[in-house]
Amino acid sequence: MAQLRNVAIVGFAQLPVVARDEHRTATEMLYPAVRQALEQCGVGRDDIDYQIAGSTDYMDGRPFGFVAALESMGSWPPREDLHLEMDGIFCAYYAWLRMQAGYCDTALVVAHGKVSEGEPRRVSNLQMDPYYHAPLGIDATASSALQASMFMARTGVSDRDLARVAARNRKHGASNPDNQLRSAVSAEELQNTPFVVEPLRAGYLPPVGETATCLILAAEGKAERLCDRPVWIHGVEHRSELQTLGARDLSRSAGAKLASEKALAMAGLDRADQVDFAELAATNPAEEMVLCEALGLDPFGTRPVLNPSGGPLCADPIMSTGLIRLGEAFRQLSGRAGERAVSGAERALVHGQQGHCLQTNIVWICGTKRRWS
Amino acid sequence: MAFTAPPDDAVKYVESLVWLPYHYVAGDYRAVYLRALKDKRILGSRCDKTGKVFVPPVINSPESFAPCSEIVEVSDCGTITTFCIVNIPVIGRNLELPYVAASVVLDGADIPIFALIQECRPEEVHMGMRVEAVWKPDGERQGDHEDILHFRPTSRPRSGEWPRPL
Repeated sequence: MAQLRNVAIVGFAQLPVVARDEHRTATEMLYPAVRQALEQCGVGRDDIDYQIAGSTDYMDGRPFGFVAALESMGSWPPREDLHLEMDGIFCAYYAWLRMQAGYCDTALVVAHGKVSEGEPRRVSNLQMDPYYHAPLGIDATASSALQASMFMARTGVSDRDLARVAARNRKHGASNPDNQLRSAVSAEELQNTPFVVEPLRAGYLPPVGETATCLILAAEGKAERLCDRPVWIHGVEHRSELQTLGARDLSRSAGAKLASEKALAMAGLDRADQVDFAELAATNPAEEMVLCEALGLDPFGTRPVLNPSGGPLCADPIMSTGLIRLGEAFRQLSGRAGERAVSGAERALVHGQQGHCLQTNIVWICGTKRRWS
Repeated sequence: MAFTAPPDDAVKYVESLVWLPYHYVAGDYRAVYLRALKDKRILGSRCDKTGKVFVPPVINSPESFAPCSEIVEVSDCGTITTFCIVNIPVIGRNLELPYVAASVVLDGADIPIFALIQECRPEEVHMGMRVEAVWKPDGERQGDHEDILHFRPTSRPRSGEWPRPL
């Protein structure tokens, strides 16, 4: 692996995830998150070179809804700005790439979306093609259920196993004050919740939630000045798969597997279980198990710790869900995770996704030390 | 059977109507602004750092990035800073053509709002012209932007400071 520029996460802020913020619009929610992240770094808005936002107009219900974010991000004098209709974790990747190319040294990465204002199920249906899939009424929960059924049939994973994975997430999530669900629930209780779309039960799915998030990236030289304990990027890779659900084996995530192999190689690691914890953007336990298989992680193991934040099951604010995973890696590895801190953690694997059934995956490896000297 | 062209009775298009309902949150700043229109009052917010007043109120100054914590009332009378004469019908409004759309800085504000100018001939409109809001009658105002029917020329003098340039 060629030597790359050392880039670090130096700040992260989010609003606690709620079902519906009645007092603020999407971009008004963004403002305090951006301010908090900048204050963490002890700098003003003018000290950041580049900005990039992740949001979706379908969720906002207005074309070019993201341009309103320019006002909440302090875009005066005029900034170099980019927007992605993707989770903020992909925005972080763009910012990282620009730093590798030498275009900027610092970047503000934000994600926002008032999920409660629209109907996310309808929006996820419109992600499908309009000829064959969308008219069937398939939404993200239904496609996830197709994936879960295939995975369970192939592997013999049981309903009880799904409940155990969900319960582990809920247990971890109970000590994360930013989560929407903050109570530990036993596997038995979760297994007794009704099916939403079989085999997925209400207890295996996150509630609709919203937030705003802001992550700050900085290259070596600047990073040390912005943060006492920068969290360095050791590797990153993303892979997209086919859209047509029938064209791929839904019970496996070839994209996550390949992305993680490449990211681990960039980080100089052989296997995913060489990290201390992993944050996976899986929105139900079956999807998490598909990911674990692809990455080579044990969903019932004790190390690496899986989803110390509680994972998306405890808070799934669309557009921010992935960026929060990266934010959790920063909090854990920079000593900001409070009582949910993973002891002795030095390296993390972070996963983000977009689309139905893990269509697009991104995998990051982060650590407390610089990757390249 | 291989075919090289679609049959005459092929499905030529698929009609797919997208129906996406939204329930927007006004936000506290917009809510207080819209509510005040019912009482014929126009509110803005003042930047903590520069003192500039934004109408309608915003939570932070897009210019200085500082919060705008203080809600202030501005006049319903202001000055035209720029305008255009519209000769084509506008979507959603039934207006007699031509009409004037203008940028009006209300007295006490530092940012213009957009306003329909009526009760004068389009050629009489000029930059620097004084205009005032014409409100819907009492009892008919709903707390939305339609509560101001339009702006019209006025001889009311400017009150307070001349708007500082943005």
